[in-house]
Amino acid sequence: MFSDAEISVFLDELDEKIEVISDGFLQLERAGESPEVVQEIFRAAHTIKGSSAIMGYDKMSALTHEMENLFDRIRQGELRVTSEMIDVLFEALDTLKLLRDKVVGGDADVDIDPIMAKLGKYFRGESDQESGPAESQPLSVSSGGESENEPELTDAEIEIIREALLRGLNAYRIRVILDPDCQMKNVRAFMVFDRLEGMGEVIKSEPPAEQLEEGEFDREFDLVAVSEKTADELRQKILGIAEIEDARVTPVRVSDDEFTSTTSSNAEEEASLAASKTANAAADKKADGPSGMATPKTVRTVRISVDKLDNLMNLVGELVIERTRLDRFAELMESGQKSDELVDTISEISNHLGQVTGNLQDEIMKARMLPINQVFSRFPRMVRDIAHKLGKEINLVIEGRETELDRNIIEIIGEPLLHLVRNAIDHGIETAEERRQLGKPVTGMLKLKAYHEENHIVIIVEDDGRGIDPAKVKQAAIQKGVVDAESAERMSDKDAIDLIFRPGFSTAAEVSDLSGRGVGMDVVRNQIEQINGTVDVKSSPGKGTQFIIKLPLTLAIIRALMVSLANKIYAFPLANVQETIQITCNEIQLVKDREVIVVRGSVLPLVRLAELFGERSEAKDKLSVVIIGTAENMVGVVVDYLIGEQEIVIKSLGKYLGRIPGLSGATILGDGNVALIVDVQALVQEFTRKEDKVSACAS
Amino acid sequence: MTEEVRSREEQIVVFELSGQIYGVGIADVWEIIRMEKITRVPKAPEFVEGIINLRGRIVPIIDLRKRFHLPEGEQTKSSRIIIVQVGEMTVGMIVDAVHEVLSVSMDSMKPPPPVVGGVDAEFLRGIVLRDDRLIIMLNLDKVLQKDEQEQLRETQDILKRAAQ
Repeated sequence: MFSDAEISVFLDELDEKIEVISDGFLQLERAGESPEVVQEIFRAAHTIKGSSAIMGYDKMSALTHEMENLFDRIRQGELRVTSEMIDVLFEALDTLKLLRDKVVGGDADVDIDPIMAKLGKYFRGESDQESGPAESQPLSVSSGGESENEPELTDAEIEIIREALLRGLNAYRIRVILDPDCQMKNVRAFMVFDRLEGMGEVIKSEPPAEQLEEGEFDREFDLVAVSEKTADELRQKILGIAEIEDARVTPVRVSDDEFTSTTSSNAEEEASLAASKTANAAADKKADGPSGMATPKTVRTVRISVDKLDNLMNLVGELVIERTRLDRFAELMESGQKSDELVDTISEISNHLGQVTGNLQDEIMKARMLPINQVFSRFPRMVRDIAHKLGKEINLVIEGRETELDRNIIEIIGEPLLHLVRNAIDHGIETAEERRQLGKPVTGMLKLKAYHEENHIVIIVEDDGRGIDPAKVKQAAIQKGVVDAESAERMSDKDAIDLIFRPGFSTAAEVSDLSGRGVGMDVVRNQIEQINGTVDVKSSPGKGTQFIIKLPLTLAIIRALMVSLANKIYAFPLANVQETIQITCNEIQLVKDREVIVVRGSVLPLVRLAELFGERSEAKDKLSVVIIGTAENMVGVVVDYLIGEQEIVIKSLGKYLGRIPGLSGATILGDGNVALIVDVQALVQEFTRKEDKVSACAS
Repeated sequence: MTEEVRSREEQIVVFELSGQIYGVGIADVWEIIRMEKITRVPKAPEFVEGIINLRGRIVPIIDLRKRFHLPEGEQTKSSRIIIVQVGEMTVGMIVDAVHEVLSVSMDSMKPPPPVVGGVDAEFLRGIVLRDDRLIIMLNLDKVLQKDEQEQLRETQDILKRAAQ
């Protein structure tokens, strides 16, 4: 059996992915099909499938496998999303949630066959209209009194509201009335949407959002939204927008009985009957409430928002500074009037205060840290199971489980590690038979290792399998259109192996239950880079592969390249800096009126930071260029001088300034001055967009 | 409710800006500091002077003259930054001088005329008379609210992002 801690990690991930899927479905429904959303849902389903299989939740794994298949079809363009399909998908999601509840102690037996059948129909492409989900009438929804011209809610929307209410959120109908002489109705409507999206979610609008955006409405429009805020708070926020005359916010209530009765009255077929059973089960569970026997298991911890911990950290920072001042003051007094009792007492207090603040700082830092075992501990079972399935013999070695990491990082690192481990077993380590023929030990070795190195945590995933063959990688990359034959020819073995991190690349010839659908390495790298980490791969064919992940100790502190521009200091997060070079002005070329430079055969757009930030920069013959981005998307940024590397603490620019384009925050330097942190990812995105399109067409 | 509110005295921080005397409620004032080096933030609104390091916290500083569209003035030895905290926002406001903390009774507050000393009435709470001096009470919520143009700019940003 799994320990509570393991189940809790699994559940956390599950909840997160369920949310991704649910958001994705909503987006599909609202905004239609988009490749990003489909990909996101697909990945989420893929992850749940994998981890639930490890945990032994077969039904969940089977259901998500079917969802994954369906979205794979959609992804490939073989299927189109229809509104009818979305209904089925939501039903599948509900079943998934019931399965989830079962993990935490729900005792209702969940029957997945009906929904599997429905999903399967799409998957096998035999969707016939007749056997689609029974059309249910719009549900009666009671809201606080007035009901003139209110938008009717569909089943799916009611389901969203019901869920929101369960999660402790509130649902509201909002009627927004604009000033009679409002000039830009569409802009105001958009701002209302934007404000609401910041505080919750808009699930319906009447007239629909597209019409609102075009300004095709009279003075009023109706919205249905869920939010954790109170009606009054929402109202105030909306009224904060100019040219809004009034906003009426009334709570929405959904009654359970109505829901179940309508569903079952329409259930004519076996499938829908079963579906209503599930719905009934859900309703029963709700009715049981907290007093019912199905009390979820919980780990005895308190969840604290990271914001709160950050605040505490800031307060401690202030305390440290004041303590230093007190210290200096005590010293001054000491040197002035010797051995006064009062002075002695003050020094003593100052010393003690110093110790206490130091401890406090450590404790708060520690409160954000968790041992990596939280992630590692789910691997032994998983490795055993997969190895068994594939007829491989694998000895899993885990080292450094006690290594501590920031909790934010722990939360994110699980998934990429899972992929790496799966890949190692699936593609890396050979079968026992193969190994015997090669003269290798029959039992393959898979090693997970974590340790501190300077200010990093290093995690190594190592196997002694067949390794990665650069030639094969090149071949596959050319075939998939990831690179052209010519540039592949020029690549070093190391660069060739790095191709596995490119989007759309996967060497597995067949689709297996475990990995190898191209959901692989690009996602792994993205996730690691998101937390300012790096991932490297070393491999020797026939001997094995080693993935080296370097992560920062905490997300609040990063290494940065400091540069100066117009006598001010700016920081580039080092994780996003490729290299720095010096160029002369005549190395700059013009392509379509944009400045570019050529670095080792690749053409990079050149950005002058001074121009971007409206600063006056010195005219120089030699220019310092910081090359930022990833191997595929690089941008050269011209700065005045390079200063050097430094550790910086990331601070936000605060609520008042909000998002400033081009900046991701600020930091305080050793001398107390403030330096701004450049938003490298946004820069790269903005200046490589054109190239993106080209490569998207090519792949 | 009127009785209680009326009899309540409010402590206010009195400061000078462009020759006029202003006041803000002391409850909103976090602290008052001398002028210090301000780091300009590119692409921030025009009245934002930049950010400072307030004992480890990053605090944005606005120039009240620019905010109120008053003629520009020089910074002098008596210039101060009043750090105010409204809601979740902490912002520093540059003023010409800080005079004193006064206790004034709010029932003497009169609604502001449309424009006082060149400042739009929407930024003002009212006017308090004290010892023959007129003190203009600021409405910090409005002062710290991003104005119309800002909102528009933000919207355009959003639209641009949405279009991509």
